[in-house]
Amino acid sequence: MAIPVIIHLLNRRRFRTVKWAATSFLLKASRESRGKKRLKHILILACRALAVGALVVAVARPLIGGFLGWGGGAVETVVLVLDRSASMELRASDGAPSQREAVLNRIANTLEEMGSPRLVLIDSASGEIQDVPSPDVLPEISSTQATDTQADIPSLLTKAVDYLQETAPGRSEIWLASDLQAPDWREEDSRWQAVRVGMESLPTGTRLRILTTKTGLTQNHSLELLASRRVDNEITLDLKLTRAQDTGSESIPITFTHKGSRTAERITMEGQELRFQKRLPLAAVDTEGYGWVGLPADFNLRDNSAFYAFGGQKPVKTWIVSHDPSGESAAYLRKAAAPTGFERYSCEVISPAQTSEIDWPTATLIIWQAPLPSGAAATNLTRYVESGGAALFFPTHEKSTENVLGISWGGIEDAPSDQFFINGPWTRDDGPWRDGIDGQILPVSQLRAIKRIAIKGEGSSLAVWDDQTPLILRKIQGQGSAIFVGTQPIDTWSNLEFTALHLVTVQRMIELGMNRLHSGYRTVAGSELSQTKLDEARTRLDDYEDDSSGQEHYRSGVYQLGDRLLAVNRAPEESSLEKVSEDRLATLLEGVSYSLFEEQNNEDDLVQEAWRFFLIALLFFLLVEAFLSLQPKPAKVS
Amino acid sequence: MKYDFLDTNILARLGAIPLESRFPMVGNVAGRHRSPHRGSSVEFAEYRKYVPGDDTRRLDWKAYARSDRYYIKEFEADTNLRAYFVVDSSGSMDFSSAEHPSKIEFARRIAASLSYLIVNQGDSAGLSCCNEKLHLEIPPSRRAAQLQHIFDSLQKIEPKGETGLVAALHQVAEKIQQRALVVVLSDFFVDANELADALQHLRYRKHDIALFHLMDPQEVNFQFDRPHRFVDLEDGTTVVAEPNLIADEYQSALKEFLENTERKAYDVNADYQLLQTDANLEETLSQFITGRLTQKR
Repeated sequence: MAIPVIIHLLNRRRFRTVKWAATSFLLKASRESRGKKRLKHILILACRALAVGALVVAVARPLIGGFLGWGGGAVETVVLVLDRSASMELRASDGAPSQREAVLNRIANTLEEMGSPRLVLIDSASGEIQDVPSPDVLPEISSTQATDTQADIPSLLTKAVDYLQETAPGRSEIWLASDLQAPDWREEDSRWQAVRVGMESLPTGTRLRILTTKTGLTQNHSLELLASRRVDNEITLDLKLTRAQDTGSESIPITFTHKGSRTAERITMEGQELRFQKRLPLAAVDTEGYGWVGLPADFNLRDNSAFYAFGGQKPVKTWIVSHDPSGESAAYLRKAAAPTGFERYSCEVISPAQTSEIDWPTATLIIWQAPLPSGAAATNLTRYVESGGAALFFPTHEKSTENVLGISWGGIEDAPSDQFFINGPWTRDDGPWRDGIDGQILPVSQLRAIKRIAIKGEGSSLAVWDDQTPLILRKIQGQGSAIFVGTQPIDTWSNLEFTALHLVTVQRMIELGMNRLHSGYRTVAGSELSQTKLDEARTRLDDYEDDSSGQEHYRSGVYQLGDRLLAVNRAPEESSLEKVSEDRLATLLEGVSYSLFEEQNNEDDLVQEAWRFFLIALLFFLLVEAFLSLQPKPAKVS
Repeated sequence: MKYDFLDTNILARLGAIPLESRFPMVGNVAGRHRSPHRGSSVEFAEYRKYVPGDDTRRLDWKAYARSDRYYIKEFEADTNLRAYFVVDSSGSMDFSSAEHPSKIEFARRIAASLSYLIVNQGDSAGLSCCNEKLHLEIPPSRRAAQLQHIFDSLQKIEPKGETGLVAALHQVAEKIQQRALVVVLSDFFVDANELADALQHLRYRKHDIALFHLMDPQEVNFQFDRPHRFVDLEDGTTVVAEPNLIADEYQSALKEFLENTERKAYDVNADYQLLQTDANLEETLSQFITGRLTQKR
């Protein structure tokens, strides 16, 4: 860089001497142009220095690219954290590689351009740390293939940081390839604090580079099985269809493959999400079976199927724990839980002192209409809910001081004379008072109460009174949920029984409880349940896809694992369209040296050799220098 | 002819056009130029009332017969022209570029040619040269030998030293007693106000002033391809400059100088000619001579 400076200074001394007559004008002109002259000298000098600099850099063949930035080529170890969740299989267009494939190819190319530094892979499915011998094989190895699992980004980053802290492998970087799907990033996870602290403790220069691919808005559809349960001689599937873009009314063909036979029907979709139910017939002799529901191929092939399996019929047993087992309220609830004509439905009403009689594992629903329990009963109840059970709580006249699942009853309030408590808004797309499958609205607005009870504690208010206090509150605990209702279905409290809202509430809670009983046949990909146990062999039963990737333990499908029949589905969170925003990312990684590189799908490489650019720059600087050095054509003096 | 600065062909062609003075001249012999005095030429000037002492031979009897009053008929007095050539021989006049003649060489050609034409039409020509001071004075004469004297002197001029043109013009103004044509050949690298004073002085003495402002083309165009060290021809001052950087400012200063000089010349009603040394001599002289015919008063 000093060469042009020296040349410049030497050049300045090489003057030609000329005898001159009009010296006075020269002196005047020199005085007036002193600033301009200095600026021009500086510009010429800068051009020469930059030209030499560009030449030197061009010869060094640097790598550039938005991903690496400048000088990103001198890394010894790259720890690649690969999100290979189902959402990474989204494609920008037909025939285009998926986000996972595209990012792997680009990373492989980039690593080759960088001179193949050591590559350590941590994939989201297995979470294992493995050395990849060469970037070439990265897109081919089994640990980078597609899965139907969900990613746990904070956990993976923690592993990467721990690895770097333990091995200290020289100048390193963590590359995170992810589609920034919000559920995978678990923004509320407390491990983010550990990630931040861990990254800060790494040697200076250890950067976190996040690579994501912009796919734009696609016409992708995804199918999700919310629940499946066998009721008598049919299996009921609760399905959810989601699409990335609301393009108005759309007729979507859906294929049902049930017990080996295939049927198809079209479903008309409005909006971005559609929940629907499908009942498929079973024979009384069917003890076990399976099937799947499929969508036509679209931009993500991994979210077009939902698998189910079923076993034999199970009895529907509801336990009502009442402070007054022979009372009016208990009678109404018992009729609602075991209506006449439903043979498999049964209901037993017991007093709080008899809770030890409850057979918790087979219970479909627990209705508690007594002072809230404590001790062993409370523990059993909590454990039951956490395991996926459904519980319904009604108030009593008796004072209750305990709390269950963090919820307790407050004071009882009577409506003023000749007035009622009426409800405010309620949740119509979720919970026990949701609209019917056919869109019918429940008669909640007809609800009138003359007595109510306050519900205390943190939960989701699915319906409120008109003064915004909770009418029904849901508390989700573990895999199950409990509903607290702020009034009783008897005349001295409300017309809940008259409006049949108590019947709907009980039946829908039974439905929820039945899912637990049938959940032994269903799990999500990558879960502990989906893995083979000792002495278990895995056999895939469905023929939805020809899977030879060796990734069965991370893929959805119907499997026979030893004696177990199991329908494995994609994690429901993988259908989420929510992304982590840049602002949120900045908060999560506050204090961490990171860069986010959002790449278009049609770009080939993350980095490119930049020597051409520098040669062009060299040419440019030389041209500018020549232009500045040119004698301007003087204006004619007339 | 032994004088390089004379071109006989040009002189032969220009000899057909008379070189006139623009103002009445005061000469010592009769000639072709108007005089401020009334004389005996054939050109009628005016009538004026007779006053005692007037030559009675000049009474117009016909006018007396018509008007019963005595009138003296006056005619223009024609006289000869005295031309003084003042040549600036300071160091700056030695500048030349490329194949062009130097400014002093161009001045020689003009002064010699005009001297020849003036003497040949029966008028007088003289020469003065100046650098720091007026160092040569050849009084005007109409004799044929005067030309040789002038030519020899022109040939011997060696430009050097600083310019003392202003002082020289003041001296010339003082020394020339009668009205004359004063032709100044210089690059006028002097203070414009001082030059204006000197020209006013000449004009006050009722001289007809002609200025030949000589510039080299490179002084005007200022085209150089690299940095130069400029050494002043008069005082040796050195200026190091990159012409491409100061070209605009130089042109601006030069333009201001030329406009200023022309304005000062116009103020004293001088006949101003800005010439570059690559100009065609015959055209230059022809324009000068014919231009004076139209400006005659």
